[in-house]
Amino acid sequence: MIKKKEILHSLLKLVGIVFAATVLGKIFIELGFPETNIVVMYLLAVLLVARFTSGYQYGILSAVVSLICYNYFFTEPYHTLAVNDPGYLITFSIMLTTSILTSALTTKEKLLTEEANEKGKESQILYMLSSKLSDAADMEAVLKIAAESISHLIQVNVGCIYVGRQSEPIYIQQSGKEQIHRSVPDADEIRKIYANLRTEYLEEEEAYGYPVNGREYLLAVVKIDKTVDAEHLQEKKKLLHSIMENVSMAMDRIEVTIERVRDRESMERERERANLLRAISHDLRTPLSGIMGTSEILMDMTDKEDRRQELLQGIYQDADWLKSLVENILSLTRLQDGKIVIQKEMEAIEEVIGCAVAHVERSFPEREIQVEIPDEFRLVPMDAKLIEQVITNLLDNAVKHTRPQETITVSAGYTEDTLLVSVRDEGEGIAEADVSNLFKIFYTSKTRSADVKRGIGLGLTICETVVNAHGGTITGRNRTDGKGAEFIFTLPLTEGGREIV
Amino acid sequence: MFKEKILIIEDDVQIQNFMVYTLENAGFSVEGAVNGKDGISYMVRKNADLILLDLGLPDIDGMEVLHKIREWSEVPIIIVSARDQDKEKAAALDDGADDYLTKPFSATELMARIRVALRHYYRMNQLESEERPDDTVYVNGNLKLDNGAHIAYKDDKEIHLTPLEYRLLLLFMQNPGKVLTYHTILRKIWGEGYGEDTQVLRSVMASTRRKIERNPAKPEYIETEIGIGYRMREHEAVK
Repeated sequence: MIKKKEILHSLLKLVGIVFAATVLGKIFIELGFPETNIVVMYLLAVLLVARFTSGYQYGILSAVVSLICYNYFFTEPYHTLAVNDPGYLITFSIMLTTSILTSALTTKEKLLTEEANEKGKESQILYMLSSKLSDAADMEAVLKIAAESISHLIQVNVGCIYVGRQSEPIYIQQSGKEQIHRSVPDADEIRKIYANLRTEYLEEEEAYGYPVNGREYLLAVVKIDKTVDAEHLQEKKKLLHSIMENVSMAMDRIEVTIERVRDRESMERERERANLLRAISHDLRTPLSGIMGTSEILMDMTDKEDRRQELLQGIYQDADWLKSLVENILSLTRLQDGKIVIQKEMEAIEEVIGCAVAHVERSFPEREIQVEIPDEFRLVPMDAKLIEQVITNLLDNAVKHTRPQETITVSAGYTEDTLLVSVRDEGEGIAEADVSNLFKIFYTSKTRSADVKRGIGLGLTICETVVNAHGGTITGRNRTDGKGAEFIFTLPLTEGGREIV
Repeated sequence: MFKEKILIIEDDVQIQNFMVYTLENAGFSVEGAVNGKDGISYMVRKNADLILLDLGLPDIDGMEVLHKIREWSEVPIIIVSARDQDKEKAAALDDGADDYLTKPFSATELMARIRVALRHYYRMNQLESEERPDDTVYVNGNLKLDNGAHIAYKDDKEIHLTPLEYRLLLLFMQNPGKVLTYHTILRKIWGEGYGEDTQVLRSVMASTRRKIERNPAKPEYIETEIGIGYRMREHEAVK
């Protein structure tokens, strides 16, 4: 309808202007002006038609009509389309070419202006949008802005559903000037459908659904009511895309912010937990010393044959075990705290091994531990206290998993850029099921009953944490050269590695 | 019968009880103080033959107690402290403490340290009055060091030590059972201006150990006190 009216309108303008030019021409002739004025008159008419209609066709048409009129009314023989003087043919062709070119130029000029205006409007809209979006503090605000501006652009109801990962789904619908919250039908379903979407949008019963994708996953879906004018939608497609891109960027930003806040909170919680554990462990030390000391005295006072001797020994051993647990927890929390503190100094590994071995032999007087160290003497950067604990833990572990007659060996060696320390035993080895879980926190082998020998998986976890913090590696496996297990850790010989501050 | 008097300055009642009991059982006369001020005032009034001093006291820093007492007394002082206080331990040893014990410790350990400290104290006193002779022969287990002839023996066979190794071994033979901090060793052997670089010391220690120990990573004579220094273990002389 609109189109036909527009054509009629343009044609009327064309006829009117050419008619006016013809009338003026007649008057010029009557007044005795030269004929050239008439030609110029018609050129002006064509220019005006091109200016006040849209599209090239009217300009060209007016050029042709003007030519015919000129021929019909102003060249001899009058009131026919024939010409006597062949010189007019040249006039005609020049006139036609000039008028067509003029009209084309004018029309083009006009189209460019229109386009520029349109672009200006669009960028105005986008600018307003992005400044609003950058002020939006949460997901709901972004959704509201998106729904409002898209609905405004295409003049139908629009719904925006947030289905991102960092907060609960939200559904905002713009109905006319009103915004309403709707309940989200099934966010998982939406995610699934749109994740597999291959087309630009999804046609649903009442609406077209456009996905708004973030950097990593689907953030939202924009639903456009099906009553939308298809042509209008097509025209605004580009702008719609830009709007959705802006919205996606804003949503991404909010997603990241939420995630960061959450990370920080969980780190804070983790730190508090570690601090609490640390404080408790610290306070446990003093009473443990009391328990150990007192039970030792009582053992001294009790006759060797007395059955109470055994009970006292139980108390002493439990306290001793608790003590090593406390030491391990203190080391671990110190390391996992994040703000430690590896005090690396140049140390001799033979001294560190010596201390660990002496310590373990004191706890298990019936065991003798073999030590093999290279003749070569080198100093290696490490936190000696922590590495001593690593070796002690590995030896403790070996003692727990071997019988007294089975040999335990600690050895050290150097490669070009690393120190290698291994603890080997001749025990039952590592069960298949445990291999991948060796260093997990609180993991204790499931293949033996918990009562047989106690171990709280902390020991190996600390070993790994300490060694990694030094920039080294630790592995545990079954020996290939015989029965038993073998734990090997490495430390870099130079201070190049990762340093924890 | 003469009873040596031991003063315990320790705020934890349990540990205090444990130490009092162990020491009284071993024949010492024991006095307890639960804070630094009481400890110092007891020393001023009645004196003691040895002090067990906790570094973490409720009123004043254990280090301050150590400094105060050292102003007038050479009494042996053994520091009692937690595991992660290496810096404090080393500082206390440098400032005149004789030894340290790390909590939790056993009665056996406690007795061993006290005996060493007392013996060392008496020996020093005795030597001071007699003028220490330069040609003493020091013996510890299978090690013998004839300072007159400047020769060291292991299992009665001469061992060849470099001058630095010799001086290091001599220092330990003169201080059996006593922990010597890196700082002390560096000062005594390399001199006052040498600084705190322990790397050379470690390397001389490693080569000395390779000459006197059967297995340098399982030392029988000079033990490592990680983060603090070394200690020579006392052995019965073998005939």
